[in-house]
Amino acid sequence: MARGNLSGRADLVRGTLDMLILKTLSLQPLHGLGVSRRIDQISGGVFAVKPGSLFPALHRLEQEGWLRGTWGESENNRRAKFYELTPDGRHRLGEERANWAQAVGAITKVLEAT
Amino acid sequence: MPAYTRIVSTLRSVFGKKDLDHDLEAELRSYLDLVADEKIRAGVSRHDAYRLARIELGGVEQVKEEVRDRRLGAQGDVLLQDLRYAGRSLRKNAGFTVVAVTILAIGIGATTALFSNVHSVLVRGVGYPEANRMVILRKSYDGRISGPLSRLDYYDFRDASETLEDIASFATYGSAAVLSGGPTPERVRVGFATWNLFSLLGARPIVGRGFLLSDEQVGGSNPVLISEGLWKRRFGSSPDAAGATLRIDGTASTIVGVLPGSFRFMDKAEVWRLIDRDGPFDPLRDQHSVLGLGRISSSASFEQARAEMEGIAARLAETYPDTNAGKSVNLTPLQDYMVRDVRLGLLLLMATTALVLLLACGNVAGLFLARGERRMSEMAMRSALGASRKRLVRQLLTESVLLTSVAGILGVGIAYLLNGLLLRLIPIGEMGMDRPTINATALWFAVLISIGTGLLVGLVPALRTAGKRPAEQIWSGSRSSATGRSANLRSGLVVLQVAVSIALLVASGLMIRSLANLSAAELGFDTDHLLTGNIQIQRSEYGTPEETVQFFIDVKNGIASQPGVVSAALISKLPIISPWTDWGIWPAEVPSPSARDMDYAMARYVSSGYFETMGIPLLAGRDILPSDRMGTDDVVVISESTARTLFGDGDALNRLVGIGWTERTFRVVGIVGDAKLNLVRDDADRAMYMAMAQGGASFMYLAVRLTGDPESMSGQIEDIIRNRDANALFADAVSMESVLSRDLAGFRTVITSLALFAGLAMTLTAIGLYGVLAYHVGTRRREFGIRRAVGATDGAVLGMVFGRGLSLVGIGLIVGLAVAYPGTLLVRQLLFETTAIDPISYMGAVGFLVLVAAGACLVPALRATRSEIMQVLRTE
Repeated sequence: MARGNLSGRADLVRGTLDMLILKTLSLQPLHGLGVSRRIDQISGGVFAVKPGSLFPALHRLEQEGWLRGTWGESENNRRAKFYELTPDGRHRLGEERANWAQAVGAITKVLEAT
Repeated sequence: MPAYTRIVSTLRSVFGKKDLDHDLEAELRSYLDLVADEKIRAGVSRHDAYRLARIELGGVEQVKEEVRDRRLGAQGDVLLQDLRYAGRSLRKNAGFTVVAVTILAIGIGATTALFSNVHSVLVRGVGYPEANRMVILRKSYDGRISGPLSRLDYYDFRDASETLEDIASFATYGSAAVLSGGPTPERVRVGFATWNLFSLLGARPIVGRGFLLSDEQVGGSNPVLISEGLWKRRFGSSPDAAGATLRIDGTASTIVGVLPGSFRFMDKAEVWRLIDRDGPFDPLRDQHSVLGLGRISSSASFEQARAEMEGIAARLAETYPDTNAGKSVNLTPLQDYMVRDVRLGLLLLMATTALVLLLACGNVAGLFLARGERRMSEMAMRSALGASRKRLVRQLLTESVLLTSVAGILGVGIAYLLNGLLLRLIPIGEMGMDRPTINATALWFAVLISIGTGLLVGLVPALRTAGKRPAEQIWSGSRSSATGRSANLRSGLVVLQVAVSIALLVASGLMIRSLANLSAAELGFDTDHLLTGNIQIQRSEYGTPEETVQFFIDVKNGIASQPGVVSAALISKLPIISPWTDWGIWPAEVPSPSARDMDYAMARYVSSGYFETMGIPLLAGRDILPSDRMGTDDVVVISESTARTLFGDGDALNRLVGIGWTERTFRVVGIVGDAKLNLVRDDADRAMYMAMAQGGASFMYLAVRLTGDPESMSGQIEDIIRNRDANALFADAVSMESVLSRDLAGFRTVITSLALFAGLAMTLTAIGLYGVLAYHVGTRRREFGIRRAVGATDGAVLGMVFGRGLSLVGIGLIVGLAVAYPGTLLVRQLLFETTAIDPISYMGAVGFLVLVAAGACLVPALRATRSEIMQVLRTE
């Protein structure tokens, strides 16, 4: 399977990254590295999120009020900044998912047109 | 709420940057540690683990930069950064900054001041409620505006019109009357208005009431309205003024109300008398003394109103063929009517200041270009460090906009100063307008102009400076030949500046010539050592008209016998000082023509000796004599052009003429030279002079020819008058020369401003030219050095530099003159006895510009002759 790279250049891809991050954090709060690893794991290695795209996305989502960042301790007693979904973030995730479904449905229809 | 959170975040990005950055730094360090831990657990050595972690992170600084760029408020943060950098950069080049700011501040200030005036006077306009629906009505023949309406026609218009919801009329020919019955008699200006003028203009009396329709009765009670100023002076602001009696020229009138001091309309009248069904003037339909003021109803358009009124006029022409044949009505928007005299001058000045501002921009842009050259390597460095071109351009633009903003703030201060000067130009008082101030609109304009100027001035230099690729930049250094494009741009700017300057200089030249012509204009009478004034008596204190005439004759003789007096005379209206009032005149053997076909001449009553006193030549026949009195034959002296109009080449002497409403026949006993009675700008007017003694008088102007200073005798003259009649009033003693000079004051202000701006434009152009040539010489020093080393004379080198400079000027001249000519056609109205292609003005302007340009070329040229080849090679 080709290894995709969410390098965050296109708006479409960037928006998708936001959605993936929100979804990942809806399952449990994680620190930056954790989010990256989790997405990599769940997507079966398709999406390897580089720090250069991850951190800008995380910080912007935090600024928009969809994530909340708190300093805490990791498994190895390292200080790390953990992110969790806010209620607004949860709501936003729902919106994004609906938009995504709509987009996918439309693209599928076009591709299957004869 | 997300919105609130976003705002807070944005602000925090901008103002709490340090904390955010600390936080981010810590977070990235923690990331490194966590990744390293992972690898250590997988068996990698600690040292390698951290190295691999750093590779995976991709560089702390880069990530930080990415986060910063995508943060909310990133723009604001960048802007603050740019501003700080711009400020530092401008401070470092203090000299450049000061010069540029000064030049631009003057340009922005002048433009703002002019804008505020133009906006106030021409755009916002007169300050009456719904003034944009008001129109002035005047009569017209064959589409040509002819003058005021007739009172009786006005009533018909008022009754019949539906598109005009209300029409008032008024007369403003500066009537003056004497108020008596109080402690001192006083002369005041009187206006005449129909009952609805004040309600139409939204003026509410502060005491008593306004006029009512019911006041407008035949045989009414002479109601008047007085001004607040008069109320304070004569009635001590007492509420009893309403209902009090005021004797005006002996007639008892009842004050019904007091108008507020803020009300002004076309005249400084302090007493307003009611025009009612009785008069007080224009009893006949073909007497025309009143202007109409109407308001178009909200449901009608200007076109509809005009069509309707013309239709009504046509119906009147059918109903009253004797008096109204061919007479139509003209509607002019009130705004246009009121500003007609100042409009052109203001627009001219506005265009001029805009041009000067553009010139200033050109200079500053040139300065920026030059500075940009020097900063090329700095920009190359920053570009190599990763700054995008867009970022560099934005940073340079921030600099120029910051510069122009500072200039704008200073400019507002300058605008305040200039505003005061300009106000002398515009007779705001009579227009019911507020004095133009630098208000919010003007300030917004200043802001816009400042930012616009900044962008205009900075854009091309920024694009050029940030344009080159880094490697190219650092290589080019000082070795290459002149960076051609930038130098060409600056040369192009200078050419444009020359073009603008020559246009302004030509305009100034034409105006100055006009002013000179106006000042020296042949008026038809002698203006030296001539004292003027006016005398008023209380008619009611005299019995017969002969007694009033005797008073004036006695006063005249008394004055004439004084030492230092060459001669004295009286006239009902002096030239220029008291213009207009023309009556019809026709040869007595034909029936009096209709108003349309009638010939008109300015009607004057004179004492004997008037023409001699004024220096008006007597061409044939005789002057008015003391023997021309009441009871003897009515005589008249007419001007040359009147004689020609009535009688052609034939002899006018001893012919009989009918005049105006007098219903009398006059014999022409003398013919005098033409004189300008109304406006200095116009041609001489037709005139007819009747005998004061045959007309009776209560108010006359005095003209006294003296050997010494005119105004020194006014005290003595007043004594003579008072000795003869203690209640007579002598006023407005002023020399004729002062009157004429005051008349030209407005025009002179326009010209002075124009000339000043032209001078400013010239200076800016010279500076620009100097800059271009200095640079040109600077970059060619090696070449000049070599030329001199192989034997070129100083003259040849000078010639080269001058040649370059003057060729730029030459191109600019051609462009400028080509543009200037059509431009001057626009201001033809302001010119006087000067054609739009007056050769002297053009030659003078070109000569002056070439001279200044040559001066600007001088220093660089001299410097070129001093280039020593050894010195040049050494510093390379």
